[in-house]
Amino acid sequence: MAPKLPASSKGFQRPAKRKAESEPEAGRVEPSEEWTGFGGEGEGIEMASDEEDTGESAESSDVEEFPEIEAASSEEGGEDEDTSEAGSEEEDISAEDEEEEDGESAQEEDEIEPPPGDSALMGEGLKWDRKPGSYPDPKVIKSSITGEGKKVYPPIEPEYDSDSSTEDDPNRVGRIPMHWYDDLPHIGYDINGKRILRPAKGDELDKFLAAVEDPTSWLSGFDHTSQKDTQLTEEELDLIRRLQDAEVPDASYNPYEDTVEWFTGEGKQEIMPLTARPEPKSRWQPSKWEKQKILKIVRLIRAGHIVPNKPKAKQPQWYSLWSTEAETSRPPPLVAPKVPLPKHAESYNPPEEYLPDQDEIDKYEDLSDDEKVKKYLPKKYDALRHVPAYEHFIHERQNRLLDLYLAPRIRRVKLHINPDSMLPSLPSPQSLRPFPVFEALKMSGGGGSRARCVSVSPDGVWTVSGDEDGVVRLRETFVGREAARWKLGKRIGAVEWCPRKDVSYFLVGIEDEIFAFMPPHLSPAMESATLDVLVPRSPPPPIGEDGEKPVKWSQESLSFKQSASTFSSPLLVVTLPPTAGLPKQITFHRRGDYFATVSSAEGHNAIWIHQASKRHSQSPFKKIKGSIQRVLFHPNKPHFFVATQRYVSIYDLSAQKLLKTLYTGSRWISSMDIHPTGDHLIVGGYDKKLMWFDLDLGNKPYKVLRYHTKAIRSVAFSPNYPLFASSSDDGTIQIFHARVYSDLMTDALIVPLKVLRGHVVLEGLGVMELKWTTGLGTCWLVSAGADGEVRVWCN
Amino acid sequence: MGRELKKGTKGPNSKYITRTKAIRKLQISLNDFRRLCILKGIVPREPPSRKKANHGNTAPTSFYHVKDITYLAHEPIIAKLREHKIFLRRMSRAMGKQEWGRAKALEESRPRYTLDHIVKERYPTFIDALRDIDDALCCVVLGASLSQHRRIPKADLDDCARLAAEWQLYVTHTRSLRKSFLSIKGVYYQAEVQGENVTWVEPYQFLQKIPMDVDFRVMRSFLEFYKTLLGFVFYKLYTDAGLVYPPPLDVKKEAAGSGVDAYRLQPVGGAPVDQEETKTTGKKKVELGGGKVLTGRQVQKAIVSMEVDGEETEEVEGNPKDVAAPLATAKAVPTSTQALDTDTLPSTEEFIAQPSKTDPSTSSTLLTLHALANLPNSNTKLFEPYVFFVSRESPRHILEFVIRSFGGVVGWPASCGGGSPIESEDDERVTHVIIDRPLPEGGVLSEGRRRRKYVQPQWVVDSVNAGKVLLEDAYAQGRTLPPHLSPFGAEGEGAYDPLAPVPGMEEALREVDEEMEDDEEDSEDDDDMEMEEEKEEEKTKKRHRRGKKAAASAVNVSNPTDADAVRKAELEAERLGIEPAEFDKVLEKAAKNKNRDVEEEEGDDEDDEEPKKIETTKGASEENMAKMLLSSKKRKLYNLMKRTNARKEEEKVKLQKKKIEIAKQKKKSGR
Repeated sequence: MAPKLPASSKGFQRPAKRKAESEPEAGRVEPSEEWTGFGGEGEGIEMASDEEDTGESAESSDVEEFPEIEAASSEEGGEDEDTSEAGSEEEDISAEDEEEEDGESAQEEDEIEPPPGDSALMGEGLKWDRKPGSYPDPKVIKSSITGEGKKVYPPIEPEYDSDSSTEDDPNRVGRIPMHWYDDLPHIGYDINGKRILRPAKGDELDKFLAAVEDPTSWLSGFDHTSQKDTQLTEEELDLIRRLQDAEVPDASYNPYEDTVEWFTGEGKQEIMPLTARPEPKSRWQPSKWEKQKILKIVRLIRAGHIVPNKPKAKQPQWYSLWSTEAETSRPPPLVAPKVPLPKHAESYNPPEEYLPDQDEIDKYEDLSDDEKVKKYLPKKYDALRHVPAYEHFIHERQNRLLDLYLAPRIRRVKLHINPDSMLPSLPSPQSLRPFPVFEALKMSGGGGSRARCVSVSPDGVWTVSGDEDGVVRLRETFVGREAARWKLGKRIGAVEWCPRKDVSYFLVGIEDEIFAFMPPHLSPAMESATLDVLVPRSPPPPIGEDGEKPVKWSQESLSFKQSASTFSSPLLVVTLPPTAGLPKQITFHRRGDYFATVSSAEGHNAIWIHQASKRHSQSPFKKIKGSIQRVLFHPNKPHFFVATQRYVSIYDLSAQKLLKTLYTGSRWISSMDIHPTGDHLIVGGYDKKLMWFDLDLGNKPYKVLRYHTKAIRSVAFSPNYPLFASSSDDGTIQIFHARVYSDLMTDALIVPLKVLRGHVVLEGLGVMELKWTTGLGTCWLVSAGADGEVRVWCN
Repeated sequence: MGRELKKGTKGPNSKYITRTKAIRKLQISLNDFRRLCILKGIVPREPPSRKKANHGNTAPTSFYHVKDITYLAHEPIIAKLREHKIFLRRMSRAMGKQEWGRAKALEESRPRYTLDHIVKERYPTFIDALRDIDDALCCVVLGASLSQHRRIPKADLDDCARLAAEWQLYVTHTRSLRKSFLSIKGVYYQAEVQGENVTWVEPYQFLQKIPMDVDFRVMRSFLEFYKTLLGFVFYKLYTDAGLVYPPPLDVKKEAAGSGVDAYRLQPVGGAPVDQEETKTTGKKKVELGGGKVLTGRQVQKAIVSMEVDGEETEEVEGNPKDVAAPLATAKAVPTSTQALDTDTLPSTEEFIAQPSKTDPSTSSTLLTLHALANLPNSNTKLFEPYVFFVSRESPRHILEFVIRSFGGVVGWPASCGGGSPIESEDDERVTHVIIDRPLPEGGVLSEGRRRRKYVQPQWVVDSVNAGKVLLEDAYAQGRTLPPHLSPFGAEGEGAYDPLAPVPGMEEALREVDEEMEDDEEDSEDDDDMEMEEEKEEEKTKKRHRRGKKAAASAVNVSNPTDADAVRKAELEAERLGIEPAEFDKVLEKAAKNKNRDVEEEEGDDEDDEEPKKIETTKGASEENMAKMLLSSKKRKLYNLMKRTNARKEEEKVKLQKKKIEIAKQKKKSGR
């Protein structure tokens, strides 16, 4: 048997007990071998079986019909005298109690005589019939003292009044895991502390035989407490059946009980009032205080101070509201702007030009409702009677109202100005002459390869340019005649003329090397001075230690100097370290002795500062962050400008420290030049911007000009006129007037003057470099373009 | 070291709270909040930074200023709203329990509130209120035109109708209507009341289809406020005009459908004014207790004499003292309920500027009332000499209002409503009949028809806008009407004006003329040919015309003096079978035309175009140069302005082109 029923579960007991109170003990007639006699369990099982048996035994069914009487009689007959006594006593007490008493008396089997000590204690020798789970009723006896009747309660007996359903279990070990006794010969102890020996347990064969022999073996289950198979009682089986059928487990519970009428029906009405207390005075006597109050009101009414049901004094709905001053000092809310007034197009009969043509109608109808600026299309009606109602009228009114309470109100100043008045008033370009206005010369360089770089001699006579094929051309600036040509065979990165007036030579930067050339047709004095600089008879002693130097200086032999082709080959060669790459820029110090080169290499090899007189080169920075774009010497201070990709750093060369970093705002600097006074710097960027820095002001540009449509390639200040120019990949050169004032209060004046066009844009490259001429009293401009031409622009 | 401040508690952005927070602070429902905002005129504010104001949240919300919400919190109406909520609860409970007596008592003590104080707060002075009644009027007029709807109580609609009628009555009475415009949306009116322009729009009288997505709660809240506002404004206007407000309603007339006339104007302390009388007589008469009748002129004189008395000059015409005596009693009676009679103003009221002797250059001349009254377009007596009869298909309510506002008398057929002063169209007095019907075909003009003018409704409105009575012929019955233009002007300065002459119009017309001439000549030639060869008709004609055209075009396009081109054209002509004589003719004409063109072009080129071009390019480049120097913000603004101007100009040019095209087509089709 699968379910192991707890032998003493309270769940079974409770309903059984309730039953026991009202039903007679019918189970008694049944032979019950299993009956152990201990408290609740026995009862519960018996009570449940009682229902079961109703259909089976006629005897019990009789009992059912008249439960009270039968039970009482049977019990009285069957039990000991105690109960019969109790029954007779009960009858004495009252008619009302009778039913209950009889019900209670059903449990006589449980009744035990109170111990003699107890009855002696009570003094009366009274007996109470006890029912488990309920307290016996008191008995009324005559008091010996007062002579009145008094209630006597039974003494409390712990055995019966406490809920100790397991007390009669022979095995008193309690609810412990029984496997503790697995290795022992006994299974527990009885109430006297004697061992209860483990019942004999046959082997499997015995079990089988027992199962075969015993027809009720399928009704039994193993009981852990007694360690043997116990047969389930009928009640237990019934309970299992009920649970399986999802019925109410309590067999005695009738869910369809008849209504019991307590307060309705003949003779059952309650007699009111329930209490016989006399009515309080306040119920029927008028209140004194109320009376006083009412009198007061009456007096007032009589005096005419209170007029009952007086119509309210009607204030006029409209009156002169604005005759008094406003109470609040709070400013009134901003008045909403008025709806724009209708224009001609809204007319029912507009001029014909306002009517949309078919295209416009189609376009309008394609728009969604949100996109429509106007909710209507102009339409013409030939008579007023044909004009229909406007379908959006209510919507428009509602939208206006929504605007009135949902839209924030901001007072905006509307500009009614001519936009041209916003433009700054600049002096006329005519008054700012001279500046280059036209192209004077066009010097094309045969091969058509790009002219990368250009430079003009300090006296303005010579123009030297280098192109990507490795050809350096020396020309006369005024006429454009090509005086000399050097084929170097490698890409030329930069050319630069020495700014010294007493000597005349220029430097050309090619891969890893810098060549110094001397132009032809120099005056003898100048030629010898130049040769002294470039090819001195006694080379200066090397500076520093004798170790291997990264930069090597080598010069032509003296004998070569005397030959006629003085200019045909480089007189001086400066060999940069092999990793330096192509020199992008060569720039001279104002005095002409120092020059700096910027190479395309990363790191400290990018910048070298050379001293021509001492044949010495040094790299000023051990470590450089970012790629170097340009460098510059300050015209009159020992300062050195280094432009990296985004910033321009200013270093003090003598103190060897960083002075300032300028934040250009450009994303890629391309070029840089400094004003001859040394206080202003212009920086051009590949992102079309030109930044003007006032070096006294701070590290942000004073002005950012954006007017080229392509990247700026080169910028240059005019050395002796207040001009600067910028060249760009869009093929234009723009000339600006830039007047700076010596007092610090006045800002620099920048006036755009002229756009010079002429260079052809090839492969996205325009004017690569431009230089101003000096020394001739003119302000000419020389530019080298990607189309291979060098042009001279004159004023 | 002070205590560290919590983030977001200081600065301009901390002064703004979201709507949800505002509602939570006020402890009212969203609907009540909306209503309160509408009534109090509280609108959302734009914080300097939306993100900061909302503690980093960028979800779209509306913000209110903290002070505005505090101001709302002190509003007594909030308490009333709460009481009302409680009232509703009690009421529903009483109704649910069927305690009718209790419900009745509750209903009697239902909490009510007035909006008087809010009107005063929002508009501290009368003129403020008057400036802002445009929306109120539009709303009320719309309400008056609505039919009943389940979401709008009947009482509201009735109030709207009453207010609209009262306003119309006032405008008519004071003759303050200035402009009117028949638009496709409705009729716009503009009145000048106490120096303020008040504009409102009235829908055409049709059954308004009320859309589903209209928020009636908002509409009703606004209407609630507008009703109060207009009530007080009208009270003040009526009282200033010496009239009783509200004007009593004549129920009989209303039932007869006489519209605005159902309300009778009543001077303060007097009997109702019969409007028709005042209108027909024109001048105001004041009746005194003794049965004497005073005219306005006499009263003026009396006033003058009283002033003169003080200065001891007794030289007055008539017997002013007799007049002055009863005037003392009549002073309380308003003297004029009409518009100012400028004619009767005596010369003593003229202000004469006294220029300073020391500084003659500064002569400050102020506008006087007299001058103001004589300003153009304030001709309020425009229609006084005329009597109008509005036929039944014309909109009576519009025309009645406009004509009466300018002094005219209007009648209408009985089918349009009762109370018409003129019974029928055939009345002798009628000078104009406003009719919106096409002319009956083959109808015979009756005697009466010839005597009076039959005009279309647009004539009335156009006359009013023009400030003078226009010629009726252009607006006669059945005629195509001239375009109806808005009196409110064009879209701004430099915008397209349909009345302004269009540059290039004449040339275009001349071109059309020439083309027509050519065609005519061609047709003449054709006629000749037809005379010669009558049998060869259509085919040859067509061919010839085509050939000539081809020749002419060929010659026209190329230079007629160019030998090659001529030769080519000749060949072409031959191929088409054109006589050489004819071809020569065509050629000659073409050459002539060409010459003229060339002359013109040359003249243009030499004089204007070339330098202009140069100038423009130069100007453009300089402008571009200067633009470089602007900051990016300013440059954007500059570009925007330029773009806007360009767009406006483009629109203008488009309209002008269209106009020329239309004129050309008309001319072509007209011939």
